Amino acid sequence: MATQWKNDQPIYLQLKEQILAMIMDGVLTEGEALPSVRKVAVDYQINPITASKAYAELVDEGLVEKRRGLGMFILEGAKKNLLKAEQEKFLTEEWPEIIKRISRLGLDPKELVKASENNTSH
Amino acid sequence: MTNIITAQNLSKSYGNFKALKNVDLNIEKGQIVGIIGANGAGKTTLLNSILGLSAYDGDLKVLGFDPYSQRDELMKEICFISDVATLPKWIKVHEAIDFVEGVHPSFDREKALAFLKETSVPLDKKVRQLSKGMIVQVHLALIMSIDAKILVLDEPTLGLDIIYRKKFYHHLLEDFFDEDRTILITTHQVDEIENILSQVVFIREGQIVLTADMEDIGENWMVLNPPAANVDAARALGPVSEQSVLGRTSFIFKGRTRAELSELGDVNRINLSDLFVTLMEGR
Repeated sequence: MATQWKNDQPIYLQLKEQILAMIMDGVLTEGEALPSVRKVAVDYQINPITASKAYAELVDEGLVEKRRGLGMFILEGAKKNLLKAEQEKFLTEEWPEIIKRISRLGLDPKELVKASENNTSH
Repeated sequence: MTNIITAQNLSKSYGNFKALKNVDLNIEKGQIVGIIGANGAGKTTLLNSILGLSAYDGDLKVLGFDPYSQRDELMKEICFISDVATLPKWIKVHEAIDFVEGVHPSFDREKALAFLKETSVPLDKKVRQLSKGMIVQVHLALIMSIDAKILVLDEPTLGLDIIYRKKFYHHLLEDFFDEDRTILITTHQVDEIENILSQVVFIREGQIVLTADMEDIGENWMVLNPPAANVDAARALGPVSEQSVLGRTSFIFKGRTRAELSELGDVNRINLSDLFVTLMEGR
């Protein structure tokens, strides 16, 4: 697998983000095993230390657990917790910015609701 | 962690030319180490000393052995691909396998055959009749089937096309490397190996200018691309170097946090070739 890494973040964080996205999108499901560190290192052509560091972050965040001799597994509730964290992040960080922008642009909330209804119903 | 290579005050002269000047170096087990330097910086001299191929001054221990006086012992635990290594043109592939089996006690013939089976290399052809890519695969098959603790690769992919270079590193990670082994690599294609390295050694004019874990480099060295209005503020933070391209100035910082730099603009991680250039220019 050829992955073009971006320059802005360390690779282990980008790898972690990719795994998070796969959990969110249901590509990886709860209870499922993650590929081994070696497999990730080979497929992405990165040092195994980098791959373990991404996994360690997922363990710290309580999304993944290490089962001795078996590997890494996605915990039950991982997707729900992740979704909750993402919602929280959106509401506290992104939404206030968007509200500011809406008022700067002088948009009427009713128009916005109408526009989003048109968008979602197609 | 255990040191498998320790050098203290390692020096080597060719006549008046000092190829290595008082080099101190520690390398631990389980690392993939990139040795990076310009032509003639001393990379190959360093590797040759580690392999016991040339005499040196100072202290050097590799896996507990003195490489020059205990080369026979050391060679059981180490293997290497040299940039000048070429298999003899007249040897057939299966004869090369017989030969290595005869001279190397930890060579696994079955492993080599299994590896070659996955390739298009014919066993009954002479090296002369093989393509360059095939010759590299024969090299790889021989080297990776040796149960060695240290693998030394001196410009292993020189002259190979991009497909074979990628395959080479793929096999290296998949079939050879584990935490009990250590790999030393020199190459001019730094971009291709930087993600697989765990440690890097920069060498200039026979001296080591920097040896660091890749993780530490990522935390300590950063590139800042500030908007024009913040250029002076960035400069005030004491960058190691700055560069202007198309009217946009970018700075390389050492020891500043991502948080303080990102107030001034976009922060990027540094790549090894930029770090190399920065270190080689600094005095």
